[in-house]
Amino acid sequence: MLDIQGLRVARGTGAQAHRVCLPALQLGHGEIRAITGESGCGKSTLLEAIGLLLAPQQLTHYRLGRERLDIRQLLQNDDQPALAAVRSRQLGFVLQSGGLLPFLKVRDNIGLPRRLLGLPSRSAHVEKALDVLRLQPLLDKYPQALSIGERQRVACVRAIAHEPQLLLADEPTAALDPLNARRLFELLLSLVRELGLTALVVSHDWALIDEFGLARLAAVSREGETGFVPAA
Amino acid sequence: MSLRLDRFALLGRLALSDLWHDRKVSLCVAASLVAVIAPLLLLFGLKHGVVSQLQDELLRDPRNLEIKLLSSGSYDTAWLTQLQQRPETGFAIGQTRSLNTQADLLGANRRFVENAEIIPTQAGDPLLDTPLSALRGNQVILSARAAERLAIQAGDSLQLRVTRRLNGVNERGEQQLQVLAVLDPARFGRPAAFVAAELLLGLERFRDGYQVPALGAHSGNSAEGLAPGYARARLYARDIDSVAPLERWLNAQHIETASRLAEIDAVKAINHVLGVIFGVIAGASLVGCIASLIGAFLANIDRKRRSLALLRLLGFQRAAVAGYLVLQALFLSGAGYLGGLACYGVGSLLFNRLLGSSQATGAFVCDITFWHGLIALLLALLVAALVALIGALRAISIEPAESLREL
Repeated sequence: MLDIQGLRVARGTGAQAHRVCLPALQLGHGEIRAITGESGCGKSTLLEAIGLLLAPQQLTHYRLGRERLDIRQLLQNDDQPALAAVRSRQLGFVLQSGGLLPFLKVRDNIGLPRRLLGLPSRSAHVEKALDVLRLQPLLDKYPQALSIGERQRVACVRAIAHEPQLLLADEPTAALDPLNARRLFELLLSLVRELGLTALVVSHDWALIDEFGLARLAAVSREGETGFVPAA
Repeated sequence: MSLRLDRFALLGRLALSDLWHDRKVSLCVAASLVAVIAPLLLLFGLKHGVVSQLQDELLRDPRNLEIKLLSSGSYDTAWLTQLQQRPETGFAIGQTRSLNTQADLLGANRRFVENAEIIPTQAGDPLLDTPLSALRGNQVILSARAAERLAIQAGDSLQLRVTRRLNGVNERGEQQLQVLAVLDPARFGRPAAFVAAELLLGLERFRDGYQVPALGAHSGNSAEGLAPGYARARLYARDIDSVAPLERWLNAQHIETASRLAEIDAVKAINHVLGVIFGVIAGASLVGCIASLIGAFLANIDRKRRSLALLRLLGFQRAAVAGYLVLQALFLSGAGYLGGLACYGVGSLLFNRLLGSSQATGAFVCDITFWHGLIALLLALLVAALVALIGALRAISIEPAESLREL
């Protein structure tokens, strides 16, 4: 689960600084929240802060996972090794353009997070995800031989391969055709439910969000600061 | 602990996969290393081969160690002992006045050698280089020339004959000698007989008019109680580097000497000159190599920034990313070294084939030892690792967040 209160983060300095705040966000197991807003409003910055890639300026409360790990304490102590460990164990990222390592086959790209954590290489969840997204025939190809849509699907499977607590997806369907976008969304939803994950998905695809009836965090801009608040 | 080891192995595999996937660029970097390592190995092989061959030749010929005493003097046993005990001395034996170092040798069938050189020897003589040189009273080792003229082989015996005129009477001194060995022709060119020092001393005393029972000369004064004296010495330095100091010691006593110091110095000078040339060329190519490696590694890091950020995002630490780059540099330089070694192998084979058989150049060798190869490998790895560290210092500032943003 995810419980964040009073998060304030800035990217850049001085007049160009882009400030983003998240007053409160609470998500339980199996819950998914879409983050919407115009381009450049700070969706990725928010995702980076929640994903422990960008140190926040203010943070009242941040607890993560079944163990209700106190992330705020780790950030306050600037305990980088512990933060890196949380990142690699508890978080899964789906990056905008896939973010696959070009020198590894699809199979090895997907297997890398599990190998890094010393987990057994076989996983029923991964097998299922590969079947649903019809990635089995692509396992022995290199990312450069894949279409952008295929890379995106591979990135999704890699993000959940190590069964993280929190899935962070940055416009995972941006490069997909409607059919594959829908399929990916379906998969994400079913994985979140079955694995009891918590997921944050940045997306432009309002139609898809409405279709799946996802709750939204919408960007509200005022006085040089973007706030993300629940939207109806 | 085992997880850490697993991670290191994983890092190594990733580094190799990356290099293999990027093999065109990897090949360029490795080839640029080959281009430096191969000529340097060849150059060093030539330097080492030529110099060690010259040194071998110097060492192989004992005449290069010899110091000739040009003027006759009068030296007693104490002086000779002092000479023998100097650390620079390899072998020293007293010699009589030059007139008395000659005698006639008579073989069977009336064959004879007139005025053969009679040369003193004892154990450890570098000119003879045989344990047989520890001769006793009536034993002799013949030079090949003398043995040939006398038609004599080892195991035969011969007659040594000297004459003198004492009190108006011509006398003849004779002694039967046992031939212990015949020298290789290369060892000594002239007809000569090597004998124990006492025998030579006996010849001198015979000519000086003393009684010498061994030669069958019973007239004249008794030589009893006469201290042995020497006019000069057969002298060999312990090694090449001892020739100069030993010569200086003798010259300081106003003893004129001759040696092959000039040849020895020439080899040392060649070694020095080749060493300087090699050093300068190696330094210049090393600078170029380092510059090109720095360029290649830094450009590589910029190119792979996204992958490196991704590795960080997936949970690799900064140190692991630095290690990843250093590992790649080590793999590349290892490959470059192997390529360079192969090129060296072909090149040195060519050198030795094309130039080695020529009469004009003599035996021409291009050669490095196992240790030279090992040192070259370690140097290559060290340089690559140091250069990669410069790149790695830049790479550890790569943030995992960079993988999230479009570049």
